[in-house]
Amino acid sequence: MSTEQQTATPMVEVRNVHKRFGNLEVLKGINLTVDRGKIISIIGPSGSGKSTLLRSVNNLEVIDDGVILLDGVQVNRPDMKGMAFERHINHIRQNMGMVFQHFNLFPHMSTIDNVTLAPRKLKGMDKKAARELGMEQLERVGLAEKADVFPNWLSGGQKQRVAIARALAMKPKVMLFDEATSALDPELVEEVNQVMRSLADEHMTMLIVTHEMSFARDVSDWALFMDGGVVVEESAPDKLFSNPDQERTRNFLQKHLENNK
Amino acid sequence: MEFDFSAVITYFPTLLKGVGVAALVALAVALMSVLGGLVVAVISIYTNKVVSAPLRFFIWLFMTTPLLLQLYFLYFGLGEWILIPAVVVGILGLGFHYMAYNADIFITTIKSVSGGQYEASRSLGFGHWRTILYIIVPQAFIRSIPQLGNNMILMVKDTSVLSAIGVAELVYASQYAISVSFRPFEFFIVIAAMYYVINIVMELGQAWLERQTSYRH
Repeated sequence: MSTEQQTATPMVEVRNVHKRFGNLEVLKGINLTVDRGKIISIIGPSGSGKSTLLRSVNNLEVIDDGVILLDGVQVNRPDMKGMAFERHINHIRQNMGMVFQHFNLFPHMSTIDNVTLAPRKLKGMDKKAARELGMEQLERVGLAEKADVFPNWLSGGQKQRVAIARALAMKPKVMLFDEATSALDPELVEEVNQVMRSLADEHMTMLIVTHEMSFARDVSDWALFMDGGVVVEESAPDKLFSNPDQERTRNFLQKHLENNK
Repeated sequence: MEFDFSAVITYFPTLLKGVGVAALVALAVALMSVLGGLVVAVISIYTNKVVSAPLRFFIWLFMTTPLLLQLYFLYFGLGEWILIPAVVVGILGLGFHYMAYNADIFITTIKSVSGGQYEASRSLGFGHWRTILYIIVPQAFIRSIPQLGNNMILMVKDTSVLSAIGVAELVYASQYAISVSFRPFEFFIVIAAMYYVINIVMELGQAWLERQTSYRH
């Protein structure tokens, strides 16, 4: 692929995506573009559909209509069935790092094994090379000294940093963060935010669903406000957070401010 | 009445041989019932009804009928057509019996592993079955250890039932010695002590395993 094409193709593209849970339509025609090296934040109240949207990007939620592209390759493939789709999606997911609210580290494996499992088993990396790669990733999140510790001995903030390292070890094209700091005690939020900032400095492409307004404002290139399954408003973060056009956005931010007093 | 353990001492090597047979049978049954139970559980949870229904019927059958009857059925019933050595029948019978109980345990613990674990593995790019193999089953196994241990202690004691079909384990070995020495009481005391020691060792092993894995789930 030429450099010209690389800059032209967005890393993630979401086109007119619809998702229903039974009779409830939770995504009502979402469009979203994440360019290479950019950071997009999605904010909105609980039940707005923002997590569902993020989970749809790597097909943890199967969308009912629309198209999702990763680096020009279609993620959802309604034309594919069974094992063919399984192979397709497993391959796609290796290029997307996902970080969950509840960390979901594998408790039966040491920290380093959590990080190296996928490179070893999916990329066939030998043990020594995988350990080197794993230590690199743990250093990146400041936890190299915890390599041989089991997750249950770690604090919430440390767990989430290991989860980030685990996702980074697959050298993903994009990182998806699903309320990565929502389950953390307030004093542990900053260490995770710092790791995410350092990824931003390295120009990692990121799609972030968050409740951390000031963090989203600082770090993002673009911000979306979702409510009721639609994107109500999107703009540069400075404008969205300080001077939004829409009444609903203003109300949400106002409420959020009051709750955090 | 007076106790006289001299006959026990005379026949002690025979008893030890019985312990050896019981231990070998128990080891084989443990392997068969734990691995088999795990396979039955995975299949009955993750495959469709056509595959899992016969397995569920199998579990139900072995859990609702007496072990002794199952052994008689396999040894004397099937023996009408095919002659299988008693020790093999014993291992198969006990193995299937405890496989059913162990499968029941694994079904519960597999379901207790959170959906987040499955999603995290899938999001890394692992497929459905590899996720089950690397992520779900190991965690379920660790959670199963206490109950599996209990079952295996019951199973070791149940090896004595195999004397009924002529497997030369501990109880069977003592029967000949008792019949020539007329000292049943002394033999029974010593045999009971032997089972007790075996179980203490197993409980220690189980406690050790639980300590090793306590923080891994």
